[in-house]
Amino acid sequence: MNSRRVAVTGLGLVSPLGDEPGDVFSRLMNGQSAVREISFDGPKRHTNVAACAPFDATRHFPPQQRIEHLDRVTLLALAAAAAAVADSAIELDDDLKRRSGVSFGTGMGAANALEETFAQLLLRDPDRVKPLTVLKVMNNASASHIAIRYGLGGPDLTYSCACSSSACSIGEAYRQIRHGYADLMIAGGAEAELTSGFFKAWEAMHILAPRDGANPAASCKPFAKNRNGLVLGEGAAMVVLEEWEAAVRRGARIHAEMAGYGSSNDHQHITKPSVDGQARAMKLALADGGLSPDEIDYVNAHGTGTILNDVTETMAIKQVFGDRAYRIPVSSTKSMHGHLLGGAGALEFVIALLALRHRGVPPTANLELRDPECDLDYVPGQGRAAPDIRCVMSNSFAFGGTNAVLVARRA
Amino acid sequence: MTTFDKVQTIFVKKYDLPAERIVPEATLESLGLDSLDLIELLFEVEEEFNIRVPQEGVAGVRSATVQQIVDSVDKLVAEEGMPAAGGR
Repeated sequence: MNSRRVAVTGLGLVSPLGDEPGDVFSRLMNGQSAVREISFDGPKRHTNVAACAPFDATRHFPPQQRIEHLDRVTLLALAAAAAAVADSAIELDDDLKRRSGVSFGTGMGAANALEETFAQLLLRDPDRVKPLTVLKVMNNASASHIAIRYGLGGPDLTYSCACSSSACSIGEAYRQIRHGYADLMIAGGAEAELTSGFFKAWEAMHILAPRDGANPAASCKPFAKNRNGLVLGEGAAMVVLEEWEAAVRRGARIHAEMAGYGSSNDHQHITKPSVDGQARAMKLALADGGLSPDEIDYVNAHGTGTILNDVTETMAIKQVFGDRAYRIPVSSTKSMHGHLLGGAGALEFVIALLALRHRGVPPTANLELRDPECDLDYVPGQGRAAPDIRCVMSNSFAFGGTNAVLVARRA
Repeated sequence: MTTFDKVQTIFVKKYDLPAERIVPEATLESLGLDSLDLIELLFEVEEEFNIRVPQEGVAGVRSATVQQIVDSVDKLVAEEGMPAAGGR
């Protein structure tokens, strides 16, 4: 099989902790949380906690861009893609454009437009919805707008597998390049579903962390004894992946080598996670990259903060790493940026790459009460220096059972 | 305000076109509107005049002139107003 190396040459974020990767990383290292209270007015006012992305579309798009044609998820995605492309400093000529593509992940897609559409139909006029609703809510809208924006004629694919959507999209993009179907891919994902209706849907799952009365910012407590659910977040993260030799030839700044991807399914239950399924994805990612467990120096955990996820993931990490599991820093940055759902995998992969670049591992915030069943080194409270960090792993596990694990090596 | 004035205002507001370009004989194509702009235009026209353009009535609309749109609107408004039309 044709097997080429893949470089990560661009990073782009629109996140609850900010848009500039260096700033985002230092906030993470300090254990700063973006989780806040959020209220919805309506027939019945309700308040939740969430990590919103402070995003002003008018700052990112020229006045002539018809932003009302795009759902928030697409606006976030386009802004993150623009940041990633700018960071890569790539110049796309016509030949390269034909060999370049987009790989995108989202769980719920255009949640805002969808909710607005139903509100319009049910509350205002049962006969009328906005004219371009279909083009706004189709799940591939974001990927296609990115492809149109940069004139990319290669694969343009959207993956939707709940909370591993954008880890899959990056992994699949890496395969497109590795196996010779494309030379460059803009890959990542986005989620923007902080709407009244979607909050109610998540509440009905009894899976959201209640507001921490003393400190709402500390509501998400992954791996802690008193963890009690996840906190929703929103945002987008995109990377530029390039064929290694081409990236070297053009003198690109290479953030890291995308070294491996593992994909598996739990095949047992629509929500209940499986130790074996998660471990299988981690092992596949290591094998794909030709790496031994000894080479991984940081794991960005899926770490949602639910009772079941964190103990299952802990067991899976032990199955893969054996005794070394206790010596690898494993952290859940969701404690600070919330759960970006379909955008989570991409954001956390970028954070893992920033850990390589800045030679430091971010912490798990709000981890004060230890759980005997979660007994790894979760880097509680504050980040720490990691001068010898070589390879990093980012875990994403999803409702529906799709597990996606990405591995990167210091360039 | 005549039907023409109202249609002209929609063009100006929705597409940032100068009012002097919205003349009766201008085709939508010549105004630089693409197929999606037309779908939106129809929606705005429907809202403004409280009419419904039939699903099948859209073919060929790009080559229509502003005057033809105005005439179609007047026709639909008249039909909507007639009890015999049986409502929507």
